[in-house]
Amino acid sequence: MALAIESPRFGHVEIDPETVIEFPDGLIGLGGSRYALLTSDPGNPIVWLHCIDDPSLSLPVTDPQRYFSDYRVELNDEDVDRLGLDDSTSVDVFVTVVAAAELSEFTANQKAPILIWNGRGHQVINQAPGCDLRAPLFAEVLGGQGPAAV
Amino acid sequence: MLNITRRRGERIVVGDDVFVSVLEVSGQTVRLGIEAPRSVRVYREEIWLEVKRENEAAAQAASAALPEIPAGSRLPDGSAGTAVNRTPPPSTPRS
Repeated sequence: MALAIESPRFGHVEIDPETVIEFPDGLIGLGGSRYALLTSDPGNPIVWLHCIDDPSLSLPVTDPQRYFSDYRVELNDEDVDRLGLDDSTSVDVFVTVVAAAELSEFTANQKAPILIWNGRGHQVINQAPGCDLRAPLFAEVLGGQGPAAV
Repeated sequence: MLNITRRRGERIVVGDDVFVSVLEVSGQTVRLGIEAPRSVRVYREEIWLEVKRENEAAAQAASAALPEIPAGSRLPDGSAGTAVNRTPPPSTPRS
């Protein structure tokens, strides 16, 4: 049976239970335990991590590889053990996005990516050096200080 | 707030399964060791707080209209996407 939510962004949405992502620990500081990735435009690189338990809560997220060509995630041993990850696990990585009126003001949080696999999600602290809490999301796309897009 | 005085090597217990040890005291710095079940997440407060604030800032856009988003670079088919690795151990000088 589909889960129905009333979303401020998308209106009435029915969510296939198969697509629900369980966050055992919620998002850091925000909680929530069941989320789904929603979009009204499959071509838009930004999708919405939408809380099912609290439909007023949703965060824009995106695939960091699109905008940060050298982005990678490093986890400390405690997180690797806690999450039960090994080298063979295929993980989808998203970063949260703080939106703005101007593209140049969009930022993404490289320090706390969201890892999703097997219907489960965890927000983790990225130990890779050089990660920015508010990295200009479109710096590489728009030119500017970032490395030029190839 | 509960206020407890501990010496180096002493511990406190939170609930039945979280142990906080005072490992070292040096001037203004205290080194703590924390043993907790896997399900308990432990953060330095400032990191927890800054991530919480960014999450809240991101959630502000819940019903806002966004400008058109540039596509960015597309991943080649079959690409593994973003690599997730264990942090390499710090290199220790050989004695």
